[in-house]
Amino acid sequence: MREHRISSLLSLVRQGIALEVGFGTRSLEALVDLAETVEQSVYAVGSLVRTETGLACLLANPPLRVGAFRALRASVNAQVVAPERLRFRPGPGTAWRTAATLGPERPLLLEPGRATELDLGGVEPPPSGRARVRLELESVAIPPLVWVEFDDEVGPPRG
Amino acid sequence: MNGPSPPATPSALPTVLRSLTSAVLLDRSGDVTLTRETRGAPVDWGGVYAQHVRLCGPWRVDVELEGTEYTLPATLSSASVDGDCYDSRHRLGDVELRQRIVPLPLPPGAVRELRLETHGDRALRLVVTSRFEPFLLPVLVEGIRPVAFELESRAAELRLRHRGFAASVRSSEMPSRLYVDRASWRGGRRRGPVEELGLDYELTVTPGRPVDLRLALLGGVERDLDRAIPHGELPVPDPGTVALGLAAEEAAWLAGRPTMELPDAPELERAYGLARDALRRLYSRPTDGMTGLVAGYPWYSAIWCRDLAWMLPAVLWLGDFSWAAASLATVFDFQATHEIELLAAEPGELPMQLSPGPVFLFGTSDTTLYYPALVRRLLRHAGDPTAVARWQEAVARVLAWAERRSDPASGLFRHGGEAEGLARASGALARVRYGIDAPDTTIWDSTDRREHAIDLQVLWHDALRAAAELPAARQDEFARRRLDARAERLATTVRSAYVWPEEGYLYDSLRDGRPVRQLRPNALRAVSAGLLAPEIARAVVRRAAADDLSASWGVRTLATGDPGYVPDAYHDGQVWTIATAWAADAAFAVGDVELGLRYLRTIASRYDAESGGANECYRGDRPEPFDSCFLLGFSVGPFLTVLFERLWGLAVDAELPRLGVTPSFPSTWRRATLERLRVGEGVAGLRWEDGRLTVRWSGSRPLEVVTRTDRGLVAPAGRLEVAAR
Repeated sequence: MREHRISSLLSLVRQGIALEVGFGTRSLEALVDLAETVEQSVYAVGSLVRTETGLACLLANPPLRVGAFRALRASVNAQVVAPERLRFRPGPGTAWRTAATLGPERPLLLEPGRATELDLGGVEPPPSGRARVRLELESVAIPPLVWVEFDDEVGPPRG
Repeated sequence: MNGPSPPATPSALPTVLRSLTSAVLLDRSGDVTLTRETRGAPVDWGGVYAQHVRLCGPWRVDVELEGTEYTLPATLSSASVDGDCYDSRHRLGDVELRQRIVPLPLPPGAVRELRLETHGDRALRLVVTSRFEPFLLPVLVEGIRPVAFELESRAAELRLRHRGFAASVRSSEMPSRLYVDRASWRGGRRRGPVEELGLDYELTVTPGRPVDLRLALLGGVERDLDRAIPHGELPVPDPGTVALGLAAEEAAWLAGRPTMELPDAPELERAYGLARDALRRLYSRPTDGMTGLVAGYPWYSAIWCRDLAWMLPAVLWLGDFSWAAASLATVFDFQATHEIELLAAEPGELPMQLSPGPVFLFGTSDTTLYYPALVRRLLRHAGDPTAVARWQEAVARVLAWAERRSDPASGLFRHGGEAEGLARASGALARVRYGIDAPDTTIWDSTDRREHAIDLQVLWHDALRAAAELPAARQDEFARRRLDARAERLATTVRSAYVWPEEGYLYDSLRDGRPVRQLRPNALRAVSAGLLAPEIARAVVRRAAADDLSASWGVRTLATGDPGYVPDAYHDGQVWTIATAWAADAAFAVGDVELGLRYLRTIASRYDAESGGANECYRGDRPEPFDSCFLLGFSVGPFLTVLFERLWGLAVDAELPRLGVTPSFPSTWRRATLERLRVGEGVAGLRWEDGRLTVRWSGSRPLEVVTRTDRGLVAPAGRLEVAAR
């Protein structure tokens, strides 16, 4: 395992050097910046918290694709969230909807820079305090499934 | 090809104001806003884009005048666009406001000028508020707006930064107040979330003395911005002067492009001009060392190398050899020479997308295959072997890359799994992982066409044939024969394995050794490449013209009878303008002139209806754009190429130099002219009248002219008349 990790790190170093030599001294920096921006701009890191019925989290941007989505699925540590317990809304003060109500005519709309609150009801928060959440979205316009998966510490309920 | 008529022209026009480094997207409503249905939902793409970086989202200006709030859209009295200058007039009580918006070439960005004038009898105090959403990210990632920014207010500017990208907000007057998310901000430095920035300007307008307020938003790559404005000092440019400069640049470009007169088909003559101008709007040189054409607007404003490949043939026919050469150099500069797992790039692979930074992404199956034939095209048009010699090794790497992806037994090119590789590579490193479960990445990259799609075999064949004609192969007879033999083997396999007798068509792909029985327009590429026997080629063209694949507004990506057909599915039912151009090309290739013209007129009618654009795609069941960029290189480049190569039947070899002219004009046509056609270092003028072709030539060596039935030599500065039926 340790050898594998070292060889992975060496591979990364080699690739970094190849990028710098092949494409200029700023290329690695630019690509890392872009990757980190994407990483930090969709799931709002630290937003995963306990609720009375399960967990809640926040998306700050659409994951990879924008537009209308006919279906949303979620799982927490591989435990599927029932569509009627999976709720979303664009922000505080707006009405919640459940994933069970989604369809081509009543899709979930995701726009750049517009946050979406998610409420993952009926899931048991993990004992270790860390959870892996996976979201899957189906666009009304482009078939392939879009997914986002993250691991985060589960925080206490918001005041 | 029956169906309803196309819809009328929309009144709110999506508009791109652009320079080579920047763009402003707006809808002519008075503000910099542009709401556009995007993948099924309304998304506002209005904003300023510089160096392919979206600097801001919607940019609005409001005016408070004696207690009354006015917005620009609500007070709009007229709006027009002249070249790249947007001009709008507004009435706000006793105040007239004239607005001009122009994109800036250097530093890239945009300037917005407001001229306020009162015809009343007293001075008026007003407050202009400028507010926008900061973005500061390339449009490589379509749906992301960073959540946090660095802000810094200086004497004459407000500077925004986010991870290597930056914007400078400047104005001709000092702002009286700053806002962050509508809360007052006293300036200085700040780091954190920003939804909206606002700036107030307090002005007094006196009768007879107009007041000008200029607002500029500049930026892109941070280090370039720092170089352009080293000490923060820069006067806000005069939009009139900038607009004149841009207009002069456009006029100079246009003066070097061919003119085409088709008196028997004025709609096609008009379409030529509209498509040429639309293609020019995609020209982009965002930074030193990066030249090309952006794929389209609003959401493909980066250099997508597949899209570029479909535009460069048209750029060459338009005689812009230096732009085509610089574009090829840009793409080859980013060729992977080693495996880069981080980016899922294989040795020899060319990038999918490029943007300043530099940011470059790989991961398509077909992009790399286009480029050997593009190098050959440049050689044929420009005629200078030394100009392409620098890419010999790059072309060899492309061939080696494709060979590694080829099936050893059949010789067929194999594709699929590229996006999975990308997700795997990034997933191993990231805390937050993303993916699109696309198993395949051909030109129809949202659908699964594995493992041996027909059009990829055509591309692979063309790449081999092209490499065999390049200077390196000419000097190595063995290598040339090997490449030709490899191409011939592929052509033989296509002829034997893809013919679908029941449909008189070609299978879309082969998978697990079995044919994929789907009717898609991609098969037409084999006709255009001349890979099929004449009777089969004609049958394929006829079959594609049937109602299930061809609609009155263009050609579908999948026939309506297919179980997978969905009218609003991007690549499984929607009509694509590029597919219509393929159908035109193939129809001319088999000599079906009327059908070819019908397809060309279908595209031409879209340009007329859409003010010169031509959407990326339309629903398959009605002529309604859906999930579609309003301006796309795919929709204009191939159309232009068909006009030159099929309607005029032109073929050039500038090394000799030689010009083939085998027009496909209907028997009822009497006359056509084409002026300023560049062939190497010379320029040809063509006049066709009643089956006779007159050629004038300005080159330094005699030009050989070849028609179907005649040939001759035109001396330098000379003139030749030949038969050309």
